[in-house]
Amino acid sequence: MNHLLTILVLLPLIGAATTLIYSFTPGARESHHRWIALGFSTLSFLVSLLLIQSASGNIASFRLEENYSWITSIGARFHLGVDGISLWLVLLTTLLMPISILSSWTAITRRQLTYYILMLLLESAMIGVFISLDLLLFYLFFEASLIPMFFLIGIWGGERKIYAAVKFFIYTSVGSLLMLVGIIALYFIHQRATGIATFDYAILVDTLRSGALTISPRAEFWLFLAFAFAFCIKIPLWPLHTWLPDAHTEAPTAGSVILAGILLKMGTYGLLRFNFGLFPNAAKQFAPIMITLAVIGIIYGALVAMVQPDVKRLVAYSSVSHMGFVVLGLFSFTEEGMQGALYQMLTHGVSTGALFLIVGMIYERRHTRMISDFGGLARPMPWFSAFFVIASLSSIGLPFLNGFVGEFLIMMGAWTSTIVRHVWIVTMLAGTGMIWAAVYMLWMLQRVVFGTKTSEANAKLSDLNAREIGLLVPLLVLMFFMGIYPSTFLSRSRASIEAARQRISSPQSGGVNIALTERRGSLREQVHHR
Amino acid sequence: MFLAFQAANPDLSFSLIAPEAIVSVAGVIVMMVDAFSRRGQRWVTGVLSIIALIAAGIASLWLWAAAPLQRAAFNGMIVLDELRLSFTLIFVIVSILTVLIASVWIEGEKLPAGEFHSLLLFATCGMMLMASAGDLVIVFLGLEILSIATYVLAGFRHTDVRSNESSLKYFILGSFASAFLLYGIALIYGATATETLPGTTNIAAIAGRLDQSLYPPLLFAGVAMLIVGFGFKIATAPFHVWTPDVYEGAPTPVTAFMAAGPKAAGFASFMRVFLFGFPIATVAASTSGYAHQSWVGALAIMAVLTMTIGNVVAIVQNNVKRMLAYSSIAHAGYALVGFVAAGAASDPLERNSALTAVTFYLLTYAVMNMGAFGIVTLIARSGDRRNEVDDYNGIGFISPVLGFSLSIFLLSLLGIPLTAGFMGKIMVFSAALREGYVWLVVIAVLNTVVSAYYYLRLIIVMFFRERTEAWEPPRIPASVALALVLTIVGVFYLGLFPGRVINAFNSRPAISLSVR
Repeated sequence: MNHLLTILVLLPLIGAATTLIYSFTPGARESHHRWIALGFSTLSFLVSLLLIQSASGNIASFRLEENYSWITSIGARFHLGVDGISLWLVLLTTLLMPISILSSWTAITRRQLTYYILMLLLESAMIGVFISLDLLLFYLFFEASLIPMFFLIGIWGGERKIYAAVKFFIYTSVGSLLMLVGIIALYFIHQRATGIATFDYAILVDTLRSGALTISPRAEFWLFLAFAFAFCIKIPLWPLHTWLPDAHTEAPTAGSVILAGILLKMGTYGLLRFNFGLFPNAAKQFAPIMITLAVIGIIYGALVAMVQPDVKRLVAYSSVSHMGFVVLGLFSFTEEGMQGALYQMLTHGVSTGALFLIVGMIYERRHTRMISDFGGLARPMPWFSAFFVIASLSSIGLPFLNGFVGEFLIMMGAWTSTIVRHVWIVTMLAGTGMIWAAVYMLWMLQRVVFGTKTSEANAKLSDLNAREIGLLVPLLVLMFFMGIYPSTFLSRSRASIEAARQRISSPQSGGVNIALTERRGSLREQVHHR
Repeated sequence: MFLAFQAANPDLSFSLIAPEAIVSVAGVIVMMVDAFSRRGQRWVTGVLSIIALIAAGIASLWLWAAAPLQRAAFNGMIVLDELRLSFTLIFVIVSILTVLIASVWIEGEKLPAGEFHSLLLFATCGMMLMASAGDLVIVFLGLEILSIATYVLAGFRHTDVRSNESSLKYFILGSFASAFLLYGIALIYGATATETLPGTTNIAAIAGRLDQSLYPPLLFAGVAMLIVGFGFKIATAPFHVWTPDVYEGAPTPVTAFMAAGPKAAGFASFMRVFLFGFPIATVAASTSGYAHQSWVGALAIMAVLTMTIGNVVAIVQNNVKRMLAYSSIAHAGYALVGFVAAGAASDPLERNSALTAVTFYLLTYAVMNMGAFGIVTLIARSGDRRNEVDDYNGIGFISPVLGFSLSIFLLSLLGIPLTAGFMGKIMVFSAALREGYVWLVVIAVLNTVVSAYYYLRLIIVMFFRERTEAWEPPRIPASVALALVLTIVGVFYLGLFPGRVINAFNSRPAISLSVR
């Protein structure tokens, strides 16, 4: 199966085309579009499971590579590949897509054709982001994912949808256009040094590692900044986060799930892959600033989440806090921290995705998301309440649930990190973020699920139906599974993470340390190793 | 006798001007057919002009493929190189699309089709001459053929006051600019005279005479005049003030044509005159060096002004045609960024690839711009009345074909990946980055973000708002449908697989520099 990755990118596109063609057939019913979309996204998920098989070798290099010429005149290539990092992000994408589509089943009643086509186009672009190994191709997917999301927010969003959609678009495109300047500048620096005109990430890293190409510290500084700016807006890192609460709150439920679950990860993935891979020296130089911003984000996000009257906005701000942990882990430059960061990306996708779904379900019933309108939901809606509590606990980071593993590893990594002085202050402060998370989540649960019922309307709410339970169960199972058996994931990403870490610690050394890649073991061994 | 004449002066080569000849003869034929044919057969002249344009396109492709050794003719008046041929193809594409888009409008308004088509063909001939000119006199000749035809086209709806205003404004200011250009040519002719030789207007010859000039100040004044003249024609700030009024008042298909065709023609001769007439000098502190530095510097400033003014003012426009007019000013600014890069490049290969970038950019702009204006023509209805942004309220889902097509064109104008506009921007920006113009590219990129605001506004209005009043989707005639299909395919083809076109534009980088 040599074309697995191309198939993964194309499947949703074919799905979109099928949906469009179906709509022109006589007797086409609007309610059938969602079945086609669900079918194709499920198929994508099943196909993407084949990736795990190919990743079991536990080696750092890219696998399933496909490399075709694309625009010969400027040396851009259609180069795809997957490693232990992108593997899981692709799986996260393909998992969340069918769930999001299923969650739109009754929520989206208008313009279903356009809606499901946009969802499939978005899936294709997001998968492309995680597997492209050519900078121009990456940029293409990165920017292309913006358009469907812009339409999703703008057409099916809430009251302030236009404001939110425009803000989302302008914010993210400022960053990515500056990154484009960086990409082209890097292209010319490489061409001047080696005579080869290429956007190929693998070639660029090779020439950097071999010393054939050295970027001057000043140029590296600006290039790092250009890339990091784009990614930090996407993450979003404090103080570039202001688009996020608006976009998340106004987007339709599925849009919020995808935004929080996948689009934000493009930012952290970009930092890990491109900023670390291409500009390791500048990454070290920037680490103190990034760590500071991350810690501010962790605390700020948590504190602001605490005072939100709107559940959805609360979850949105909690994302700022959780993504701060990811950045902290990445810039600790320790194996634990970076593994934890990757794990936190997946965890956050699963648990915040679930939270947005749950908020969407209650909104469909009550048409309000205000915390003050609820109370005492546990009695009329036991299933709903149980799911809500578990998802919230997972978000808080309770042991045995997924959130714990990622944050624990990140704290571990931050504690042992040598990149900043007085690292204990950073760790302590970030640790308070976990406490704040417990405070705002539990307080919100207490007011919404438990407590006294504030309105008669709440007493008559119907509990979750089979479809809603069905789409939450996979996420819940995953929360427990990821909390109990993290090595399933970590063992497959370790080699790639270790390679990324080595890029930072010794920018000009040869390939990956073979001895390290051979190492296998449980989480405990890994922690003891330090 | 003809052969004897040709033998005596071997520099006559009619095959080298085949595209121009075909188009101008066709213009005359169309006029005749119109005069002698019965009424009610409007499509005849349209079909004739499309056939003529396709023939001209084939002729230029033939010239391209045959690649005759002779790269200049008529004593250096006409040159043959990739710059000329790629622009000739752009003009052919623009004119064919204009004929297709204009058909619905001519039909609806009962306007004389034959006159329109013959004027369009003459304008095309003028544009082609501007691209093929190896001499300032031919540049002027082409410009005048083009301009006079366009003045009439702008006022084609003679019962409409706005159209009249547009035509008159364009005529008065255009003549003024032509005068500047002509004066510049005269000054340069005077300044290039040496003690033994008379002055010259041959572009390649000018370059050789710069350092022998007896009156350098005269030369600099001439250069400044040329910049003003060309700057007006391609609507760069601060010579852009006429554009919004003229574009708004002119009939929409004519506006589409003016924004894509004559602008590209202006760039063609602007680039040829300055890149080959005042090229980068080996010694910086010489007359030629000063001339080169000053025009590159002036153009860099003009690029910044043009982009910024175009984009910022476009934000506050409520009329779609006016908005697209400012957008076209902004796009001229982006193209100027590439032009500056070509001017600053010392390596001929780098200069040629920057030149290719600008040409490619203008091609992408022509395609997406024609598409966008095609839809604006349909939505405007008869009388060109419905051009306010409010007229687009909520029509996206009532007429998805028009709504989504227009969105594609707008996103391409914005420069979103997968579309032609993105590749055009990549080419131009990378050309400028290669020459070290980081600040210019950063300004251009920030301008792109500003432009997002007004391009998205139209999409927002179409899709994110609901229509409150009744709206009947316009019928899409076959000719316009064909134009839309062609432009959409073009937008995605140039956006996804631009390699072949870029390679072709850049294939034989030897731009002719024959000095006679």
